[in-house]
Amino acid sequence: MSSRARVRREHPLEHILETRSLTKTYHRGTTEIRVLDGVDIAVAPGEFVSIVGRSGSGKSTLLNLIGGLDTPDGGSITVDGHEVASAHPKALALHRRRTVGMVFQSFNLITTRTALENVTLALAFGEFPRAKRRERATSLLTSVGLAERVDHRPGELSGGEAQRVAVARALANDPAILLADEPTGNLDSATSAEIIALLRELNRDHGLTVLMVTHDHEGAREVSNRVLTLLDGRVVDEEVVRS
Amino acid sequence: MRFGDVGRLALENLWRTRLRTVLTTLGVIIGIGALVSMVSFGSGIQHNVASEFRQLELFTLIQVLPGDIDMSDPVASGMQAMEEGVVTLDDETIRALEAIPGVKLVYPEVTFPARLALDDGASQTTVRALPAAISEFKPFSELPYGRFFESDDELSIVVSQRLLEDLGIRLTDVPEPAGRAREDTTVIYRMLHSDEVLGRKLTLSTSVVDAAALMQSVARFEIPSGDLPVREEVTELTIVGILERSGGFTSLGLGGRAIVPPETAERIPRLAISSVWDLIGGGGEDSGYTSVSVRVGSMQDLDAAQEEIEALGLSTVTIADHLEDVRNAFVVMDALLGAVGTIALLVAGLGIANTMVTSILERTREIGVMKAIGGGEWDIRRIFFVEAAAIGLMGGILGLVLGWLVTRLANVIANAYIRPYGVEPTDLFHMPLWLILGAVAFAVVVSLLAGIYPAARAARVDPVTALRHD
Ligand SMILES: Nc1ncnc2c1ncn2[C@@H]1O[C@H](COP(=O)(O)OP(=O)(O)OP(=O)(O)O)[C@@H](O)[C@H]1O
Ligand SMILES: [Mg+2]
Repeated sequence: MSSRARVRREHPLEHILETRSLTKTYHRGTTEIRVLDGVDIAVAPGEFVSIVGRSGSGKSTLLNLIGGLDTPDGGSITVDGHEVASAHPKALALHRRRTVGMVFQSFNLITTRTALENVTLALAFGEFPRAKRRERATSLLTSVGLAERVDHRPGELSGGEAQRVAVARALANDPAILLADEPTGNLDSATSAEIIALLRELNRDHGLTVLMVTHDHEGAREVSNRVLTLLDGRVVDEEVVRS
Repeated sequence: MRFGDVGRLALENLWRTRLRTVLTTLGVIIGIGALVSMVSFGSGIQHNVASEFRQLELFTLIQVLPGDIDMSDPVASGMQAMEEGVVTLDDETIRALEAIPGVKLVYPEVTFPARLALDDGASQTTVRALPAAISEFKPFSELPYGRFFESDDELSIVVSQRLLEDLGIRLTDVPEPAGRAREDTTVIYRMLHSDEVLGRKLTLSTSVVDAAALMQSVARFEIPSGDLPVREEVTELTIVGILERSGGFTSLGLGGRAIVPPETAERIPRLAISSVWDLIGGGGEDSGYTSVSVRVGSMQDLDAAQEEIEALGLSTVTIADHLEDVRNAFVVMDALLGAVGTIALLVAGLGIANTMVTSILERTREIGVMKAIGGGEWDIRRIFFVEAAAIGLMGGILGLVLGWLVTRLANVIANAYIRPYGVEPTDLFHMPLWLILGAVAFAVVVSLLAGIYPAARAARVDPVTALRHD
């Protein structure tokens, strides 16, 4: 649809996402916590990759760096051919706007806005033509199964529905990769399965590249191409489920 | 993000917290209201003085004084000027002044004390001599009753309504300012129509020192004791015109209470101010007039004529010079009044900053979300700036309305107070365009300044921290 998407199809990059020797250190008082300690991962276009690891291993930190919400201390991040690690704040905002879409455990919808408005806000930041925003937001919400809920506010939606809105919002500006940080962490198992199925469907039917953090190792194995295990800021295991 | 979207977001945010928006805006409204009413009061007085002067065509008047008089100390420098024999104001000087291009009329300053009597009423006052030719100029060109002099030697007098009151007469055909009678209920006036006054003969009495009698007593080495050798001269003059009752600011020297033609004045035996010098034996006839008035055709001719007069070695004073002093006084007053309003507005600015910081603390997560879905620092900053500017704009416009209402109310009250003193109702306030536009612009600028810190703070919100689940 967009020119970028076309480039992606005509000249498929070997990796749509690649990190090299990624490090991130937090300072708490005088003590330093090395949250990421040389992370090298690579994701091919159309892949579904999951990251597991115990709490505090640095999964969210890794996703935030890839998503351009934070900057690393060392190493490089390349997404869709663009260097992110050393990008200027303006370029980083553009990266968040166009190249990645993010979904969080706690949905992070704007509570005062309806489902539709949450999606159109992302379109507004993406400078999508105003006249077509409503139509595009409605079609996105329909594609995640929320045609009946467009005018509901987050408080009037179930957790699963709210997370579907978040997915629709993440896809608003046609990103190269979807980053999902424990998208099912706040949901019961049945609803979790629905959300995972939705991501899987987007991946399989629309070729969307997905990088998902999860605690559910088994569930991850069912839908992913690969499952990476993070421990103390390093990738300690890579399990290829299907290629 | 496009500006239209930024504006829409900002307004939606303000609407969402409308109670707080209203309260914050109220601060700006009050600040601007105070500023506008204060400044328009200062501006109003200035405007009234200037327009009154203009109405009287005082901007075409140049007061000419003998050379080199230092206006900061006219008496001392005047004495000095006379000793040094500088240019005096004699008939020759008057001819020279008349020759200056643009000059329409030159007449010497002639005033003398006299007692005026009509029927039972009498009043001691200062009589001024003005030439018939001055009838070209306001206010003499438009006397409300009767006419001005047709020649410089007719036995006529033009009187003010104030003088008539001193003589116990009020005109029935003058629109009476309501409630004026209250202050002088003890005085009983004769109510006459102006037609009953015009054409009446008025007696003007002057006291004259009997020089012969004085010399005799001096010759006899007698110190004149008790009665000075003073003699009373009486002249009968016909009232031909009555001056407009002057408003608040017009008592500034023009006119006087009674006016006679110059040649008639000369024929009236009198103890003129200049003849004090005659008595002392100072300058004699050659010392000239104390001052001469020069009228130019239009305001545009004033500066050139003033320069030429000064080139003759004479000193000049114009209303513009006076107005400069008045204006300087107003600058101080305006500054004080403006300062009060500005302080009010600065307090309002702090209110805006406070409100916005509060709202940023509440909206931290939302700001984080906006950043996560692609909002740049620039977008976030603009949203908050527009919120601040919108508060400033609304507050500025409504503050202008408030200020206007306050001035209208104050005007009604003030006029009700001053009316009993015979002052014509005047608009005490003036709201020029620069004040209207300036006040709104000032409100927006103060709001934007107040928004700088909150906007920068919002832009710096760390999305990772903001979005971390609790
Ligand atoms: N801003 C910060 N300042 C200091 N330490 C931080 C900061 N953010 C994260 N950390 C620390 O970094 C470590 C990794 O955090 P991170 O959120 O990436 O873990 P995680 O793998 O996502 O854990 P979880 O599964 O519980 O979400 C934790 O020990 C955390 O306390
Ligand atoms: Mg996490």
